[in-house]
Amino acid sequence: MEDLKIGVFICNCGTNIAKVVDCDAIVDSVERLPYVTVARTYKYMCSDPGQDMIQADIEEHGLDRVVVAACSPRMHEPTFRKTLQKAGLNPYFLEMANIREQCSWVHDDPVAATEKAAALTAAAVLRVAHHEALERRSVDMCPNTLIMGGGIAGMSAALDLADAGNRVYLAERSDHLGGNVARADLTAPYLDSARDMLTERVTRVVEHPNIDVLLESQVRKVDGFVGNFQTTIRGKADDGAPTDSVYDVGSIIVCTGYKEFDASRITHYGYGKLPNVVTSFELEKMLRAGRVTTKEGRVPQYVAIIHCVGSRNLEFHAYCSRVCCMTALKYAHEVKSAVPGAYVSDIYIDMHAFGKGMEDFYRRSSEIKTLFLMYEKNDYPVIRKADATDDCDMLIEVNETLSGETIEMPADLVVLMVGMEAREDSEEVAHLVNISRDKDGWFIESHPKLDPVATTTDGVYIAGACQAPKDIPDSVAQARAAAARILARTARGKIEIDAVFAEVDEEKCSGCRMCNELCPYVAIEFDPEKRRSHVISALCKACGACVAACPSGAITARHFTDKQIFSEIEGVLA
Amino acid sequence: MTFEPKIVGFLCNWCSYTGADLAGTSRIHYAPNVRIIRVMCSARIDPTFVLKALHDGADGVLICGCHPGDCHYSEGNYKMMRRYPLLKSLLADYGIEDERVRLEWVSASEGQRFADIVNDMTERVRALGPSPVKAALEADLAER
Amino acid sequence: MADDKLQIAIYWGAACGGCDVSILDTDEFILEIDKAADIRLWPIATDGKYKDIEALADGDLDVAIMSGAVRNSENEHMAHLLRQKSKVFVAYGSCAYMGGIPALANLVPREEIIERAYLNNASLEPGNTTVPRPRTSLNGYDLKLPEFYPRVYKLDQVVDVDYYVPGCPPQPGQAQAAITALVQALTGQAEAPPKGSVVGAYERALCDDCTRTKAEEKKVKRFYRPWEIMQDPEACLMEQGILCAGSATRSGCGVRCPNSGIPCRGCYGPAPGVVDQGAKLLSAVASIIDSKKAEEIDKILLTLPDFTSFANRYSVAASPLQRSHRR
Repeated sequence: MEDLKIGVFICNCGTNIAKVVDCDAIVDSVERLPYVTVARTYKYMCSDPGQDMIQADIEEHGLDRVVVAACSPRMHEPTFRKTLQKAGLNPYFLEMANIREQCSWVHDDPVAATEKAAALTAAAVLRVAHHEALERRSVDMCPNTLIMGGGIAGMSAALDLADAGNRVYLAERSDHLGGNVARADLTAPYLDSARDMLTERVTRVVEHPNIDVLLESQVRKVDGFVGNFQTTIRGKADDGAPTDSVYDVGSIIVCTGYKEFDASRITHYGYGKLPNVVTSFELEKMLRAGRVTTKEGRVPQYVAIIHCVGSRNLEFHAYCSRVCCMTALKYAHEVKSAVPGAYVSDIYIDMHAFGKGMEDFYRRSSEIKTLFLMYEKNDYPVIRKADATDDCDMLIEVNETLSGETIEMPADLVVLMVGMEAREDSEEVAHLVNISRDKDGWFIESHPKLDPVATTTDGVYIAGACQAPKDIPDSVAQARAAAARILARTARGKIEIDAVFAEVDEEKCSGCRMCNELCPYVAIEFDPEKRRSHVISALCKACGACVAACPSGAITARHFTDKQIFSEIEGVLA
Repeated sequence: MTFEPKIVGFLCNWCSYTGADLAGTSRIHYAPNVRIIRVMCSARIDPTFVLKALHDGADGVLICGCHPGDCHYSEGNYKMMRRYPLLKSLLADYGIEDERVRLEWVSASEGQRFADIVNDMTERVRALGPSPVKAALEADLAER
Repeated sequence: MADDKLQIAIYWGAACGGCDVSILDTDEFILEIDKAADIRLWPIATDGKYKDIEALADGDLDVAIMSGAVRNSENEHMAHLLRQKSKVFVAYGSCAYMGGIPALANLVPREEIIERAYLNNASLEPGNTTVPRPRTSLNGYDLKLPEFYPRVYKLDQVVDVDYYVPGCPPQPGQAQAAITALVQALTGQAEAPPKGSVVGAYERALCDDCTRTKAEEKKVKRFYRPWEIMQDPEACLMEQGILCAGSATRSGCGVRCPNSGIPCRGCYGPAPGVVDQGAKLLSAVASIIDSKKAEEIDKILLTLPDFTSFANRYSVAASPLQRSHRR
């Protein structure tokens, strides 16, 4: 190796690191390592003076590699990479040693902590000697977007994108737009009309010159990569025959929504057996038609609403479906409005009134004399047919928690607040666009807190209930967030591909094809004429699966090469 | 003087390394015996890394990845899951005690779990004593 | 001994003799060797004795070609001697290069080997207590046997090696090519390969030269021993669940084994740049297992008996762990 000049900068982080780790001792140990030219400490390396110090040292000593021993690289790697760039050094000539989150903050013995910090810093020094200059690259960004799902999220995203002048292909599986919101009458907590809300959206979408609404259409295939997708969509031709068309898009938003839980799976609620046990959606149908009646056509005197059907239940879904509590209260209002004398009881576990206007709605619901009965999780109410002598159709036995009594509620109509579930086609959709699902089948976001609408596949976004149960405001927020993310990219016209990816050395590749199927991003293609495999760098996310698996060692992971990792191993064990 | 094991940890960036960072931000204390090397995904972990770590003097090797189904790269952890039993059988044939090499799934929110794993593994490896590898290879040479 | 003739020695350490036979198998080319060189030591074929080599000055031998591994002190002594007396030292064959089949013994502690061979097996007279010892006195004579080392070494763990010729044995065509290249280098007719090179082999894994078709889909639900199924002779063996080391093995042997319906066993060693052939084979095998459930994976692996001997069949001495560390 040619003569390198490595600068090592050890941060005190105030007392965060220095209180436990003897930073001066690390300077001593590191100075003995090969190629180390400069080693020093500073109070706050990430501060302006700290960064200036690094920059000055780079220039003065002609450093060509930099190690910063400080906080986690997940915190400040981008910061220090910029510092190197400003000093005229390739940003990938940096390596950080995590001596805070993974050392000073978790160990109390200063001797052991210092020893460990010294080892981690040594590992970084040995590793950085093998770093290579890497460059980020640009590719064109197609401004079109494919939106999968024509519900409230899909339409909201479509409008933002189209209003900004971009073409949108809105693919909807069914024969109408509106999704699950189209099945609703009013919405909580303000009792707005769902129909009015939707009509506004649908009209604007259908009339928008930039939106192609593709009804009865299914996405069959997605090829390409961010900025350059080719999507094959199967629709219906004029004569009704299925026909495939290919659309070029730069981004995809998945807004496929949810399906409701099948209430017949909970046998003790009698859904499917007792005629007047209905689901929330079945009640919506009645409300839209303007008439709330029992199966026999009578006006119900007692209406009971049961929360958490299929949700918060280890047997079915452990999660909370988020919207049902407020929707149940909405039904209390709507039933009282449709049947003024009716007794409405609301049988719930907890009242999730988390959002804007919701606690007020809850209060107003009790003001209209809704009867609230609380039951404990796993201690479910039991519904049975009433006797002929009772003046109601069914009786619900509830172990009511607040009173401590077992109460028998009469009910002519029972409304089951069925929870949200991932759709049956969610697995197919996930594979189509290369995203993951969590254990409940919801699509996984890039970061649960900081990146809720992007996914691990660059260029594919998720919005609405398909990501997790949520209400209309949150679905619309996510949809418009995804649209904004896309607009930020289309505005630039080009996108930067990360410099870190895998590469096949064709001099070493034997064409064994062990790697071909390993890539979750389908980034490896085989050239049958050359008999070699090849990584499409724009698609590669640098996970390294193919690198470790290649039996010839023909694939290298930029910035995570075998040599770099071997030297880290040597360093931590020195 | 008690034997302090030196354990090399290979942690994937998105879940387990983040989980270890979380233990830090939560100030959860644990044994200082694991030295962490970051990889992007547990799928990057070539069995050679584990063998080399043992050869270079590691008393134990800890491999951490995302829980199955949650891999940031979709299925990388399954690739590690398939390599692992083969690696264990190879290590067993080479006489390396079972508890010296361990695979655990740690999510980004499991700081406490990471700390518990480190503490548990440190004690188990401590009970096994120093890894025989480096000393044995050197002793062989002395006999020539 | 003509002055213009090259002086060479061909010797065997812990070996089976196959490598020497591979040189003999070059047929008429052996006459070319004879024309160009004086063979000062070649136990399988000539009369040379150790003292003939000891009598030489350092560097008198142009080339020493040693096959076999180092199992005992005699092997080591001869490796040192030949290294000392030669300009170029060639590790010939898988045993010399990586430890080879003898190095599989490294998976068993020495004491157990001695016990099994001399004290505890079905073909011994019961009650035998004699085991070989390095020194013994008998009738006033001091008798010595080579010391049986605790593990088998590949040659470069013992001496400085200039070139490696892989194979178990190296195929005669490659043996000829390697020797020719060496002779040409030594006589100034061609540039010498860089020190430490693997010669007599190619730079890619076997799949490059194997004519079996390789599909994109490589997923198996179980593994088969070669005799367990009727294989498709046109298709990749791994795709059929038959373990083949070819993808992790350097090419150059002419793909003789897969072309004959037998899976490659890895005797030409790892592809260039690979540290441990066994680890790479492990990754390759893991890559084709068609399962995402731990219990199912374990079941599939039950169809793979003795994976270690497959992974490191020829390369135990070259692997990072080198030998069993069982106490």
